Amino acid sequence: MPSLSTELLVVGAGATGLGIAWDACLRGLKVVVVDQSGIAQGTSGRYHGLLHSGGRYAVSDPDTARECAAENAILRRIAPHAIEDTGGLYVSLDTDPPDYVPEWFGACQAIGIDVDRLSHEDVRRREPSLTTDISQAFLLNDGALDSFDLLRSLAGSIRQIGGQIWLHHQLRGFVIENNRIVAAQVFSEIEQDTILIGADIVVNSTGPWADQIAALADIHIPITHSRGTLVAIANRLTHTVIHRCRPPKDGDAIVPNWSAMVIGTTDIPVASAEELSIDPAEIDFLLHQGEELIPGVSNRRALRAWSGIRPLYNPGQRNSDTTRDVSRSHVLINHAVTDGISGFLSVFGGKLTTFRLMAEYAVDFVAKEFDIADECSTKSVPIDPQRKNYFILPSRAERLNQTGEERNDSVICECEIVTRSQIEAALQSGNHSSLDDLRRETRLGMGPCQAGFCAVRASAMAYASDEAQNALSDLVSFIERRWRGTLPLAWGPSMRQMAFTRRLYLELLDIQQLLGDDS
Amino acid sequence: MTDVLVIGAGFCGLYAAIAASKRNARVTLVASGHGGLSISHGCIDVWSSSAPSRALSRLKKTHPYRLAGKDALNTALETLDLISHDADYPFIGTLSKPTILPTAFGAIHTTAYAPLSLAQTGIQKNIPISIASIAGLRDFFPTLLSKNLEMNGYTVRRTMQLPLPGPVPQRDLYATDIAQRFADSSNRERISRLWRPRLAGVDRLGLPAVLGLHHSQRVFRSVQDLLGVELFEIPTPPPSLPGLRLENMLSDTAIKMGVDIILGSPAAGRIDHSGKNKRVSGVSLQTAGGEQNLDAHSVILATGGLLHGGLVAGRNGNIVESVFNLPVEYAESHQEWLKPSPFDEQPYEKYGLLVNSRMQPIDLHGDPIFENLFAAGGIIAGADRQIEGSRQGIDIATAQRAVEAALE
Repeated sequence: MPSLSTELLVVGAGATGLGIAWDACLRGLKVVVVDQSGIAQGTSGRYHGLLHSGGRYAVSDPDTARECAAENAILRRIAPHAIEDTGGLYVSLDTDPPDYVPEWFGACQAIGIDVDRLSHEDVRRREPSLTTDISQAFLLNDGALDSFDLLRSLAGSIRQIGGQIWLHHQLRGFVIENNRIVAAQVFSEIEQDTILIGADIVVNSTGPWADQIAALADIHIPITHSRGTLVAIANRLTHTVIHRCRPPKDGDAIVPNWSAMVIGTTDIPVASAEELSIDPAEIDFLLHQGEELIPGVSNRRALRAWSGIRPLYNPGQRNSDTTRDVSRSHVLINHAVTDGISGFLSVFGGKLTTFRLMAEYAVDFVAKEFDIADECSTKSVPIDPQRKNYFILPSRAERLNQTGEERNDSVICECEIVTRSQIEAALQSGNHSSLDDLRRETRLGMGPCQAGFCAVRASAMAYASDEAQNALSDLVSFIERRWRGTLPLAWGPSMRQMAFTRRLYLELLDIQQLLGDDS
Repeated sequence: MTDVLVIGAGFCGLYAAIAASKRNARVTLVASGHGGLSISHGCIDVWSSSAPSRALSRLKKTHPYRLAGKDALNTALETLDLISHDADYPFIGTLSKPTILPTAFGAIHTTAYAPLSLAQTGIQKNIPISIASIAGLRDFFPTLLSKNLEMNGYTVRRTMQLPLPGPVPQRDLYATDIAQRFADSSNRERISRLWRPRLAGVDRLGLPAVLGLHHSQRVFRSVQDLLGVELFEIPTPPPSLPGLRLENMLSDTAIKMGVDIILGSPAAGRIDHSGKNKRVSGVSLQTAGGEQNLDAHSVILATGGLLHGGLVAGRNGNIVESVFNLPVEYAESHQEWLKPSPFDEQPYEKYGLLVNSRMQPIDLHGDPIFENLFAAGGIIAGADRQIEGSRQGIDIATAQRAVEAALE
């Protein structure tokens, strides 16, 4: 078995894992990150894209609110490329409980969150599509934070300073000696081989899979899972994040996210990290809630629905229909203390907005173990954007319009304006092993046609020198994944789009002929 | 007042208009826009298996083929054959032996009748072929295509990219762009002079379907002669020229026969309340100049299914028919509409109007809803035409039957 050793092994390449790896690399540690699939494949890539101001938690969880407010300011400094400064409008409708607003206002002031009261005229001028049933409205500094962009650039920054990130490497087991984890067995899907990684400390930052990873060391972590479903609308109907100013409930945030707009989210207790399939009632509910804030939104073109799983730490194991009351602030478990296994930490929970802070706590702990005096520097070291403004659609359009060498560049994905040279660059980076990886890297296939047109083009590029069977199975699974994301939204234009895609693939290209009996 | 009013300008509607016109009816065709032929391979699929006539007789009684009947299919195929020969755009093939064509993905598509430029040269497992793309054309990938063809057991000798004369275009080209370059005979000669030296050792060459939009038969023959190579065209992703050629062939024929074609005006059904029988009186058209009523003795609805707008799915899990608001057969639970993979058989493809053997939309008791209203093509319930490989066959069989019933 091939082997190597590192000081810190991080399992999971979501926000938590990459945040920890970045912090640890900056403090001079030797770091390897492994992930069973790709960057931001779990909960980090499946959220609504909200950069919290803290306002949402001011009443229910002032500590989290304070952390959000502080981290919001830090992220705007270190990762401005991934943030759209939309502002956040907190609106109380005529039908909402009136007592909540003064309580909320007082809580924000106590925490130190800036709140501007807007007049009805100001609200109307700023966001004309909002309902007129607004009794009060306040402006805070929420924003839109693109987790794909943030984590892709974070991964690039980690590699620049010597950290290693191995994608499509799945943790299969631990080597434990004298109650200490000394190594991990990692299966490489690329090499089809198991590698032994010796590590002084292993951090389990696998989010909703944290219990499964801990179980490999015979450790039980009391996690419950909660599914949050989101719907993206293909148009932006507001330019500001809209929150419902009421005690936090399902479906009360709308986030304009560059070219789209996301309505979220729900909160459904589920049994595992894999229970991602969406109940149609969740979609109805979200659109209904969206309708209360933006009349007519449910008749707009829905782009895609997806869900993410929140890992909730629940040592009490209450039987409850709602998981919203369970701890959402982050959890750090030192298994030496809780389970008698040293060299092993689990870090999970929290919010994308506070991922840096979680990482700081975790690496402070790790640094103590290594006797490293270096202080955390992630507050001030900017994350290298790698490709500036790439994830913002208008900037890709602008670049295409420039004269010069890119003038002859052909567009592969029209919806998201992804060009041939951008896909070639992504292919050369070697970070992908599937069209879905390529999608996260370039936004290929994420627009209204959901890869109907671009998937074959991208497949022809990605598999130019690979076997036909590999190309076929990846293409089919890519198309199927895109199809599943629009299944709960199959009406109006989305329905027509799906019927069109099917017609293209089954009749004009007749791909199912190649699938033979497998279809 | 027209005898037959056809609504829909796709393959089905255009065929219905011609078939009615052939029976000396005065025909008007209205549609909100062009039909779906630009996304079609331009062939006539009747059934995907190799023995269609046996398969067709085993279908459920409610299947559109069974309702229309074998005679309607045969009459329609004969009629289409005549039309295509008259228009110098001949189709080849027979019902008893399927025609096998490579797709732009390198899969094998089974069809009944295909235009000559696609099917004449043909592909066979023991004869090596070569595949070329054309510089600047998007959506045609010879390497991918030939690897998949090889997976199907065919031998590809060479793949290549052929240039176009003149300056490099500043944007990606579609099949329609390149077709224009082939319209002019001196241009064809220039292109052929450029290509000929690159085709050493090539005797059967597959090209993307770009060889002319108009008079394509003549263009195809002349390019084949100039190159001295046996050619076959492969339909590209949209815009697909063989589909557009079929559209042109049908609309030119319809116009020649005196069919009045009105495109770009959405139609709303009008019901005749005067008599004691339930009848439709025609449609009202939304035109640029305002609303305009069109009266007809009979109306044939060929507006297509969910893809083409004949049926519209609403967010509340309902499906409505868009012109006369006719009752639609579909599953009430939205969850049942679609299966998790597009490659599965899809329930939504079978949703549509229930019709009787005269192609009249019927109610739950089996009674015609309007005695002079008929339906044809994708709007009729009961078939996943993609899985069956039956799209064009059902279009013309039901259109033929609807025309016959309307003029009885």
